[in-house]
Amino acid sequence: MLLESLISFLADTWLLWILVGIRVTLFWQARRSQYFHYVLNRYMLALITLLLVSGIVFSLMEVLPGDCAEKIIAYKNTQGETITQADIDAERARLGLDKPMPVRWLNWVTDLTLNGDLGYSCAKRQSVNLALGDRFWMSFWFCVAGLAFAYLIAVPFGILSAYALNQPWKDRNPRHSTVKRSINSLGLAANKLLDLLLRMISYLGLALPNFLLALTIILFYVFAGESAPTGLFSDQWNNEPWFNDQGFQTGKLVDFMGHIWLPIFVIGWAATALQLQTVRALVVDESSKLYVEAARARGVSGTALWIRYPVRHSISPLFNSIGFDFQRVFNDLPIVALVIGLTDAAALLIEALAMTNDQELAAGILFLVALVVISMNFLTDTILAAVDPRVRNSVLGAGGH
Amino acid sequence: MTSLIARFRGKQQTSQESYYTAGQFALIRSRFARKTSGVIAGWILGTLVLLGLFAPFFSPSDPSIRGADTSYQRGAPQIIKFKDENGFSWRPFTYTYSKPDSGFDLSSLAAGGSLDALDALTSSGALDASEQNRYEIDRNQRRYIQFFVEGWEYSVLSIESLDIDIRWNLHLFGVENGQIHLMGTDEDGKDVFSRTLHAIWVTISIAVVALIVKLLVSLLVGGVSGYFGGRVDAILMSFTEAVRVIPSIPVYLACAVMLAGLELTPTQRYFAIAVVIGALDFAALGRRLRTHILTERNQDYVLAAQLSGASTGRIIWRHLVPSFSSYIIVDTLINFPYVILAETSLSFLGLGLTEPVNSLGVLLQKAQDPDIQQNMVWQFFPVVVFVALIMAFVFVGDALRDAADPYSEQNK
Amino acid sequence: MITVANAGNNSRLLDIHNLGINFHTDEGLVRAVDKINLSIRPGEIMGLVGESGSGKSVTAKSIMRLTPGHAVIDAESQIELQHQNQTLDVLQLRNRDLNLVRGGRVSMIFQEPMASFAPAIRIGDQIVETMQIHLGLEREQARRKGIELFERVGIPFAAKRFDQYVFELSGGMRQRAMIAMALSTNPKLLIADEPTTALDVTIQAQVLDLMLELREQLGMAMLFITHDLGVISKIADNVTVMQKGQAVETGVAEQVLFHPRHPYTQKLLDALPHIDQLPPEPVEKPEPLVSIDKLAIRYPLAGSGMKRTEYFTAVSELSLKLPKGQIIGLVGESGSGKTSLGKSLLGAAPISSGRVNFHGDNPISFNHPKQIKRKALAKIAQLVFQDPYASLNPRMTVRDIIAEPLEAMKLTSSREETDQRVIDIARRCHIEISHLRRFPHAFSGGQRQRISIARALVCNPQFIVADEAVAALDVSIQAEILALLKQLKKELGITILFISHDLSVVANLCDHVCVMKQGQLIEQGSVRQIFTRPQQAYTRKLIGAIPLLEKRDAAANNIHQADAIPA
Repeated sequence: MLLESLISFLADTWLLWILVGIRVTLFWQARRSQYFHYVLNRYMLALITLLLVSGIVFSLMEVLPGDCAEKIIAYKNTQGETITQADIDAERARLGLDKPMPVRWLNWVTDLTLNGDLGYSCAKRQSVNLALGDRFWMSFWFCVAGLAFAYLIAVPFGILSAYALNQPWKDRNPRHSTVKRSINSLGLAANKLLDLLLRMISYLGLALPNFLLALTIILFYVFAGESAPTGLFSDQWNNEPWFNDQGFQTGKLVDFMGHIWLPIFVIGWAATALQLQTVRALVVDESSKLYVEAARARGVSGTALWIRYPVRHSISPLFNSIGFDFQRVFNDLPIVALVIGLTDAAALLIEALAMTNDQELAAGILFLVALVVISMNFLTDTILAAVDPRVRNSVLGAGGH
Repeated sequence: MTSLIARFRGKQQTSQESYYTAGQFALIRSRFARKTSGVIAGWILGTLVLLGLFAPFFSPSDPSIRGADTSYQRGAPQIIKFKDENGFSWRPFTYTYSKPDSGFDLSSLAAGGSLDALDALTSSGALDASEQNRYEIDRNQRRYIQFFVEGWEYSVLSIESLDIDIRWNLHLFGVENGQIHLMGTDEDGKDVFSRTLHAIWVTISIAVVALIVKLLVSLLVGGVSGYFGGRVDAILMSFTEAVRVIPSIPVYLACAVMLAGLELTPTQRYFAIAVVIGALDFAALGRRLRTHILTERNQDYVLAAQLSGASTGRIIWRHLVPSFSSYIIVDTLINFPYVILAETSLSFLGLGLTEPVNSLGVLLQKAQDPDIQQNMVWQFFPVVVFVALIMAFVFVGDALRDAADPYSEQNK
Repeated sequence: MITVANAGNNSRLLDIHNLGINFHTDEGLVRAVDKINLSIRPGEIMGLVGESGSGKSVTAKSIMRLTPGHAVIDAESQIELQHQNQTLDVLQLRNRDLNLVRGGRVSMIFQEPMASFAPAIRIGDQIVETMQIHLGLEREQARRKGIELFERVGIPFAAKRFDQYVFELSGGMRQRAMIAMALSTNPKLLIADEPTTALDVTIQAQVLDLMLELREQLGMAMLFITHDLGVISKIADNVTVMQKGQAVETGVAEQVLFHPRHPYTQKLLDALPHIDQLPPEPVEKPEPLVSIDKLAIRYPLAGSGMKRTEYFTAVSELSLKLPKGQIIGLVGESGSGKTSLGKSLLGAAPISSGRVNFHGDNPISFNHPKQIKRKALAKIAQLVFQDPYASLNPRMTVRDIIAEPLEAMKLTSSREETDQRVIDIARRCHIEISHLRRFPHAFSGGQRQRISIARALVCNPQFIVADEAVAALDVSIQAEILALLKQLKKELGITILFISHDLSVVANLCDHVCVMKQGQLIEQGSVRQIFTRPQQAYTRKLIGAIPLLEKRDAAANNIHQADAIPA
C-alpha cells in the first residue's frame, strides 16, 4: 500500500528527481574538481534560462486569440449543444483559466518539472505530449540532418575560401619566366574564381527562399511527369510496416530515402550560407596568427599545416555554435514542412499558430526546441571545457596549475 | 571662424598625405574598393536600390489596380526589338498585342443560361489557363519606345503633416499607344516589371525600419548591460539568452497572428510588422555589443580619456560609439538578407503584407500558385530580382567585413 | 670548450647576395630591403641590428622564404645555403624542397613564444611533429629526444612540461621551450628574431647565457636579430647594422661597437644609455609633491572558490614621498606592482587601503577611487602610456587627441584658444603642426609617444606618470623621448614618476630611484646612490643583469673573429 503510493508518487515526479539528482551529483563532484564546479554553474544557468524561456513562451501564447474554454465549448457546439456566455465562464473556472497568468504559468511549469507534462491541447483534445508523439523527434532529426548537410558543404568550402582569400592575385616573382608567371597568375585567378563560384552556390541557398526552392524542385518533378517526393513515403509504402514476413523491407527504406532528401537538402542549403561565412571568418582569423607562421618555419607545409593549425583551432568556436545553428535551422523547417507536406512538429507548429490558435501545442513545441538548444549549448560548453585547453584555461581561470 | 589649423593645410595633397588624413571610413572604403566581387555586388545593389527608390520614374505603368492593362491580362513579356522583316530602326520597338477573338459568345450564356452553352464553352478549351495567355502579335503595328514620356501621375515627395505633395508624371520610358510590359502582366493586367520595382523599395524599407528598431533595442540592451555590468548585466544577459534560444519565425508568426486580429490600415500593418521583426531580433547583436563595450572599455585610449577628465557621456559618444560604428554597419548589412527573408516568410504564410501591397514577399508568394508556375513563368521575375538583391547584399557584406578591420594591416 | 671544428675553414654556411625586397602595399611600392650582402660561417653568431622598419626581420624571413604574400624579391638576389657539400639557392628551390631549409638546416625563434606555439596543441606534440618531419623518428623516440632537449635548455620537470600547453608555462620557460623546439632538428643555423625583448632583464640574461652555451656545445651558427646593442655586445661575434633596408656597416662586433665607421652606427651608440654617466648627488632635497601613505592594492582573483574570495596583492602597505620637480624612477620586474602603484596615483587602479596626498597649489587627497574628484585630479596629474598604439584613439585626429583634456574639462573658452594651446604644446613636443590633421595610423611609435606626451601636458599638470613610456621604442627614438622629458622637466618644472623595467634608461634620466619587488618598496635613493652603492641583493642583481655595451673576454671569441671581415 505504502509502496504503491510511493511508486505512484515517484512516477508523478520522476523528472524532478532526475533534475535534482544531477544537481546533487554535480555539487558533490564540484567540491573536489574545478571542472565540475564549472559544469554545475552551467547546469544551473541552463535551468534558469529554461525557466525564463518557459515564461517568455507562455506569455507569448497569451497574445494568440481565444482560449481553451472557448475551444471546448465551440467543440460542444458542433456536437449540437447550445451554449451561453455563462457556460464559457463556467468552463473557464473549471479549467482554472480565470486565475491570473502568473499562477497559470506556475502550474504549467510545475507540471513540466514534475513529470515532463506539457499540458493539454484543447484544439486537439488530447495532451500535448500525446499529440506530439514521435513528431518532435522527426523534426529534431530533420534539423540535425540539415545541419550536417550544411556543415558538409560549408566546412570544406569555407576553408577553401579562406585559403583563397590569403592568396595574392598574381604571381609577381621575378625569378619566374614571363610564361610561368602568367600561368601561375592564371592558376591564382582560377582559385579566386572557384572561391567566388563556391560562395555563390552556397549563398544561393540563402537567396532562394526555401519554400520557393522546395516548390521549384517539386515543379521539376511535375514537369518530368513523375510524382513529387512530398511527405515521407509514397502512397504505396505509406501503410506498409518496416518489417513483414520476409523480414526488413528494403523497398520502404529506399522509398524513405527518396523522400527524405528533399527537406534536408532545402533547409541544409539555406543554412549553408551563414555557416560558410562563419567558417571562412574563423579560419582567416586563425591563419593570420603567428603560430601558423612559426609552424611553417619549422617545415610543416601544405595540407598538414592547414588542417593541424588554422582549421583545427577553428573547430572549437564552430562546435560551440551548434546549439544556435540548430535553432536557426529549425526556424526554416515549418514553412518547408508546410510546402512539402510533412507532418512533423514543425508543421504542427505552423498549424497551431496560424490556423487553430492552439496555444498549448505551440508553447509545448517552442519550449521543446528551446530545451534542445539549451541542452546542446550546455553539452558543447562542458565538452569544450574538457577538451579544448584554451577554453579550459579561460573558463577555469587560473585552473592551469 | 577659420581655425588656426586650417592655415597649415598643405597646398597640395599627395596620395600619402590623403592616406594619413583618412578617417576610419575612408580607410574602409579604400580597402573595399580593392575587392572586385564586392564592388560588382555593390554596383548591382546600388542599381537595385536606386531602381526601387525611384520606382515610379522607372516604371512605365502604375503598379496598382488603377494602372492594370485590361486589354493585356496574363500577357507574356513583350520583347524589345531593333530589327525585323520590316526593316531596322534605331529606336527600339515592340508590337501591338491583341486578344484573339475568343470564339465564344458570352451573351448566349447571359441570355439563355442553358447548361449546353456552358458545356460548349468549357470543352472548347477557351477557358484553359494556357489559352488565356494567347495574344496575337500584329507585326505591322510597331510601338516605338519613347524616353522621358509623360504618363501616370505619382507623388515625388509627400509629407502629410505639412500638406506637401509634389506630384510628377515623367517616366523614363514608355510607348506611344497603350502600355509596354517588359516582363509581362499578371492575371489582373498589372505590369510585373513595375510591380517588382515598387516592391523592391517596400521590402528594403521594411528591412530598414526593422534594422533600425533592432539597432535601437540592441544598443539599449547591450549598452546598459555592458556599461553597468554586475547584476544588471547578469539579469539582462540571461533574459537575452532565453530570447536567443527560441526560434524567431514562430515568434514572429504569433505576433503576426495577434496583429491580424487588430484593425490596422496597410501602412500601420506594414510598420507593425517591421517593428516586430526588428524588436525581437535584438539578442545576437545586443550580446555582441555588450562584449564589445566590455572589451573596449578596458582599452588604453578609453582610460586615457577618463584620465583626461572626460565625463561618462563624452567617453560613450566620442570613444565607445565610434569604436563600434563600423562593426554595426557591417553587421546591419549582413543582416539585411535575413530580415528580408523573415518578411517574405511571413508574407508567404499570408500573415505579413498581403495583396494589393507590392512587396517582394507578396510577389514571391504568388510564385507558389500552380497556375503561375505552369502558365505565367514571367511572374518569376520578382524571384530573380529577389535572388539578385540578396546575393548582392551578401557579397557586399562579405567584402565589407573583410575591409572593415581598419587596423588589420598592423598585424601583417 | 668550443667544438667548432671548421673554425679556421673559410667555407660559409650562408651567403646572401644582393638581396632586395619590395612590398606592394596600400600606399604603393615600398623598398623594404635594398641590396644586402651578408654571410655567416659555421658556428658564427651574426648580430643583425637595426630599428623597427629597417628590414631586419624581412631579411631573416627571406632566408626561409617566409616573406609575406605582398613581398617580391628581386630577380638577381641570391641566398645560398651549404647543404651536404652542395650549395642550395633558397630562392630557386622548388616548393617541395623547402623543408630542407625550413626547420631542417635553419630554425627560427620568434619574439613572442606565447604566440608562436599553437595554443590548443601540447608543446611536446609540436616538437615531436617537427622531428617526425625532418628526422623521420618514431613517435616515442622523438618524444624521448624532446624531453632530453627540454632538460638541456634548463626546463625543470621536463617530462611534465613537455605535455603542457603554452599558456601553462612562464615567459622564460616558453622561450626555453621555443629554443628546444628550434634545436630539435639539429639545425646548422638558428635565426633568433628579438628572442629576449619581451623578457625581464634577469631572465633575458639567463636566456642569452643559454644560447651562448648551446652554441658552444652544438656549434651551430646564429643570426641574432635585435635592436638592443647591449645584447649584441654580449652575444655576437660579428655585427651587421641595418638602416632603411640597407646594410650600412658590417664587421667584427668589437670593431663595430667600439670603433664604428658609419655615422648611423655612431648615432645608435650615442643614443644608448650609459650607466657610467650618473648625475651628481643632489644638493638639497626638495619638498614632496606627492606623498603615499601605506598604500595597498589588492585584486580579487577570478575563478577561485565560491565561498571566500582570494586576493592578489599588487602593492602592500607602501609609503613613499615623491620630491617635487624631479624625475623619479620606479623600477622592478614584471609583476612587481609598479604599474598598479603608478595608476593608483591617478585614480586608475583600485586602492584597498592607505591614502594618496597631492600637495602643491591645489592639494588633493584620497583613499578610495570613489572619493576622487576626477576633473580636479586630471588637471594636476596625467599619464603617459606604455603602448603608443593602444592609447591613442585611432578614430580621432591628432589635434582632437591632444585637445581632449582641454575640451573634456572645458578649460578653454573658444575653439581658437584650444587650437592655440594644442599648437603650443605640439611645438614643445616637436610635433609638426601640419601633422595635427592626420590620424594616428600615419605615425610611428616614437611620434605617437610624442602625441601621448603632448596630450598629457596640454592642461599644464604638475605631475606625470610615465608608465614604461619608452619601452616599446627604438633606441634612437628612446633617446629623443628621454631628452624631451628632461627638457620638459626643466622648462615646466613638472614632477615625473618614470616607471620602467630598464635600469639603464633610469640611470640616464632620473634623479631619484625606487626599487620595487613583489609589491614592496625595497630600496630607494638618489641615482648615484642606487647604482654605485646598492644596499639590497635584489637591486645588485637587477643592475648586474643590464646588458651593457661591454668588451668581452677576447680569448673566448677570437676564433670566430679571426677573419670575419670579408676579404
